[in-house]
Amino acid sequence: MLAFAFRKVLTLVGTMIGIAALTFVITNVAPGDPARLVAGPNATEDMVTTIRTEYGLDKSLPEQFVVYMSDLVTGDLGQSIVTTRPVLEEVLRYAPATLELVFVAMALGIIVGVPMGMLSAVYKDGPIDHATRIFSISGVALPAFWFGIILQLTFAVDLGWLPVSGRLPLVTRPPETVTGLLLVDSLLAGRLDTFWTSLRHIILPAIVLSFPCLASILRVNRAEMIEVLQSDYIVAARAHGIASFRIVAIYALKNALLPTLAMIGLRFGWMLGSTVLVETVFDWPGIGLYAVSSALSSDFKPVIGVTLVIGFFFIVANTLVDLAYAWIDPRLRSA
Amino acid sequence: MTGPLLDIQNYRLDIGTFDGPVHVLKDINLTVNRGDTLGIVGESGSGKTVLVRSVLGIGPKASKVVEGTIAFDGQDITALPEKDWTKIRGIRISMIFQDPMTYLNPLFTVGQQISDVIAAHEKASGYGVSLKVTRRARTEELLDQVGLPNPAMLFDQYPHQLSGGMRQRVLIAMALSGKPDLLIADEPTTALDVTVQAQVLDLINSLVEKLNLTVIMISHDIGAIATIAKRCAVMYKGEIVEQGLTADILSAPKHEYTRRLLAAVPDIDTAAAKVAAEPAVGASPKPGVLLEAIGLRKVYRSQSGTEVTAVDSINLSVATGEIFGVVGESGSGKSTLARMLLRLIEPTSGDIIFDGKNISGLTGEPLRLMRRHMQFVFQNPHSALNGRHTIGDAIGEPLRIQTNMSRRDIEARVEALLDIVQLPKMFKYRYPHELSGGQKQRICIARAIALNPHLLILDEPTSALDISVQAQVLDFLQELRAELDLTYVFISHNLAVIRQICDRTIVMKRGVIVEQGETERLFLSPQHEYTKALIESGRKTSRAANLSASAGPQ
Amino acid sequence: MTTPVELSRPLTFRERHESKIRQWRLYAHMFGKSFSSMLGLGLVVIFLLLAAFGPWLAPYPEDTVGAFNMANKLMGPSAAHWFGTDEMGSDILSRVIIGARTSLWIGLIITGVGAIIGVPLGIIAGYRGGWVRAVIMRITELFLAVPGLALALAIVAALGPGITNCVLALSLVWWPGYVRLVEAKTLSVKEELFVESARSIGAKTPWILWHHILPNCMSPIIVKMSMDMGMAILSAASLGFIGLGAQPPAPEWGAMISVARTYMPDWWWYSLFPGAAIFLTVLGFNLLGDGLRDILDPRSRDR
Repeated sequence: MLAFAFRKVLTLVGTMIGIAALTFVITNVAPGDPARLVAGPNATEDMVTTIRTEYGLDKSLPEQFVVYMSDLVTGDLGQSIVTTRPVLEEVLRYAPATLELVFVAMALGIIVGVPMGMLSAVYKDGPIDHATRIFSISGVALPAFWFGIILQLTFAVDLGWLPVSGRLPLVTRPPETVTGLLLVDSLLAGRLDTFWTSLRHIILPAIVLSFPCLASILRVNRAEMIEVLQSDYIVAARAHGIASFRIVAIYALKNALLPTLAMIGLRFGWMLGSTVLVETVFDWPGIGLYAVSSALSSDFKPVIGVTLVIGFFFIVANTLVDLAYAWIDPRLRSA
Repeated sequence: MTGPLLDIQNYRLDIGTFDGPVHVLKDINLTVNRGDTLGIVGESGSGKTVLVRSVLGIGPKASKVVEGTIAFDGQDITALPEKDWTKIRGIRISMIFQDPMTYLNPLFTVGQQISDVIAAHEKASGYGVSLKVTRRARTEELLDQVGLPNPAMLFDQYPHQLSGGMRQRVLIAMALSGKPDLLIADEPTTALDVTVQAQVLDLINSLVEKLNLTVIMISHDIGAIATIAKRCAVMYKGEIVEQGLTADILSAPKHEYTRRLLAAVPDIDTAAAKVAAEPAVGASPKPGVLLEAIGLRKVYRSQSGTEVTAVDSINLSVATGEIFGVVGESGSGKSTLARMLLRLIEPTSGDIIFDGKNISGLTGEPLRLMRRHMQFVFQNPHSALNGRHTIGDAIGEPLRIQTNMSRRDIEARVEALLDIVQLPKMFKYRYPHELSGGQKQRICIARAIALNPHLLILDEPTSALDISVQAQVLDFLQELRAELDLTYVFISHNLAVIRQICDRTIVMKRGVIVEQGETERLFLSPQHEYTKALIESGRKTSRAANLSASAGPQ
Repeated sequence: MTTPVELSRPLTFRERHESKIRQWRLYAHMFGKSFSSMLGLGLVVIFLLLAAFGPWLAPYPEDTVGAFNMANKLMGPSAAHWFGTDEMGSDILSRVIIGARTSLWIGLIITGVGAIIGVPLGIIAGYRGGWVRAVIMRITELFLAVPGLALALAIVAALGPGITNCVLALSLVWWPGYVRLVEAKTLSVKEELFVESARSIGAKTPWILWHHILPNCMSPIIVKMSMDMGMAILSAASLGFIGLGAQPPAPEWGAMISVARTYMPDWWWYSLFPGAAIFLTVLGFNLLGDGLRDILDPRSRDR
């Protein structure tokens, strides 16, 4: 198991290097002069030359690559043109908000998706099954940004139950930063009212973000449950008189959970990508919004920085999924 | 305690399908008394599995009982509600399944699965669940009872860590955990090797004696049935066509189907009549060696770097016109050997000489052209044909690849080949899934002989087929050889089949030849221990030996 | 099966292709039986009709090419303007109808490029194995290691906003999905005996790939392409919404919502209708793909 984990971590490092190389390629396939892009449309020739030397753009590509990679190793993701602050610093400042949103959305997806998948598998072709099937296909087809707007219109504007956007009202003093996750920090600081406020703020974006994820977790879990429930060892368990509930909830679920786990890992990355949309709609101050506003102002370094960070989170999540796989499946452990 | 333990009366069962109801079971009447051992024989699709599963209330989903009853110990269980089943299933009636590979949950330890069953039984009986330690002790006792070594260690192992035979023993232990009144065994030996089959049958027999079990065993293998069952029922297309004492049925079958079935079973103890027809006299232009292997070796390297020798230094020579048998159990390397002879698998070292030419170094075009002279017939005709191609495409494919024949000529040749394998010409428009197993295997043979090869390598060509179909295909293969002047290398795990058709045979075990010689000599005076064991096991599951045994004191 | 009788006369077309005809009728029957499949087919057909005949169907086609009428701006749904009007006084219904064609092109190009790059690479990786597979799969995994939308965003940011760059970026991140799907399928098909059987009669690798592997990979590819049409349209609309895809006033659904958002909440219809168009189109392709999977790949019917 330890060797397995070690191998996985090695792969993680390798993939990270690959992603760094990929972002370097993207930076350099762009047509036109990157220095001019950085300098902006009104820059003089002098300014462009200065920027070119300053950014090391006058060096050969392999040299630039070496510089780029060694900068990354030391945590230097470059500087934002708009704010003139180091990208790493800003990304680290915005990341907790995104992670908080993704964690809550993921929890929603799993807590609702897995039991619903089980239910519709057990009552296959019944009314529950039909309802979940329609629900799950619509879930994937809903445009997140549009769904967000509709929810805002309904629950915030019309009904006034929940705040329209943001993470905390300006007037509320955020709790002392420990984890960066407001829900956790407010509890640690013992401020239940702040907890409640931030919970109210996170509900809508989390629902929007979790919807497609919930739908696909549900689908995979349902399909796997159906297949497992038809398998020989479940027939055998039934024949040996084991109670139905135990068969479904323990014997079958554990087997069906493996592919569901893979889907959860996959959807985690997908969610990180979708934060770009959801954070824009809800003005959620996370890395997604940061990336979008930077991209719109042709501030390229932060976009690359965010891409790297999102890639990193995704790979870490997938590595954890792989480890969970091995923990559940003895066949992998001994391999 | 008077009436029969199981009483099935006029039982009819339909399964609803797309095309309307299918009558799966028709008018079944069957009685089993305490202490009985009943065998149910039938080929695939005869309804035997559906029948025994109905007894356990786990029959197919869309099924409907049309009429009749199943009574267990006086109680009608035809329409028992699910909660009452918990008092019967696994406790009073339990079941052993066919494929021990798939019937154990891969994610739970062997011990946990058995003690879960024990817990379920304790709960159902209403005495409350005993302590974990107690259940563990009972589990280990059960594992010991089915002859598994070191139960304490086995308890914490996962199914994939065990061999097929061990898994089957685990399943038997599980079935015995409720001290059942009735034990149903569904093809308990089919998925196992011959020697392991014999061991499992011995185990069941000893358990029947020791625990005074009542057993229903279903199998397609009449030999296995004869080993266990005193009484026997023969099923055909959803009906019981004949039932009675096993010895009577074997010695004097009444129904026409039973007679056909019995005639189709190859007998390990009978020398085949083929010897006379063997040397296709005069027809063979150049008697001599057609195929020769010298020091053939195949080493596989696993991912962790360990080397496994699948085939080790094999020397053999196949004479022109003979049927050369290769016999061995799974893992003996016989399939690897067969594929190496055709260069479908690259040998690690060694030479293959075909028709006087060393073909082990051939690559590219020469190898491709050489392939037309030697062809392969695969074990499983269901997957050897591409489901997206018509039969005509499949048979014509070698012609299109290897010759410049025009479309018209290919069409004509395909029809001629269909004729040779005794199938209607219209079949060329059909798709494989519309054909039966035996027909598909004929198509595979037609495809193999399309280019007029000299040599056919047949890798278990009949083991995926029903016994009666197997007999037809074997007969056909022998006719074909005489007609087309072919040489066969015939690979099988079934000794009776080997004895029936092979001139010379090699016996393989773990990649090496343990014995070789004339087939008859091999069977009459086997020299090697392994050959003896193999023949002995084969005999155990064979008809004749048991006919005399069970005809003895009743 | 009925016992075939040998005939001397040549068979008719119907008789020769009996098996095929029966197969297609079974497909049609199974597809027609499922409500959700038919709903998907219906939605896709409507979408295709709108894309094909949009300029003739739209009540105010001139509104989609820059005409404006400030007197009519931001009017709610009415008999004259079923979906209302936007900030330039243009008819939203017309713009939604014309947007179908843009979306169709976007979907076709992204899915097509994805499949054309991905399928051959997947087949080669799966069949050849060894270092070829290692190289192809490593690169594929690299692309898959960054969430598609984030990667597309970075590429568009590098290339500059616009519909062409948006489609280019999405095509670049789309192919790895096909490589992974086809590679996995090829790995399993390659183990089938009929492939070994073809080798044993001397078939060359291209023959095997073309006649045996590809036809057996087609079902999942068709299903994925159908679903991807919807997902590609959705992704392009997402980039349009962020402001990196199609630029207003181009009649593209995502871009329309992007503008509409600034007119929230009082002019709700502005964002409602383009969004509904995206939703129904994506839903249609997803349901269609799901229905196709049901009939083409019965084993995974419940997936």
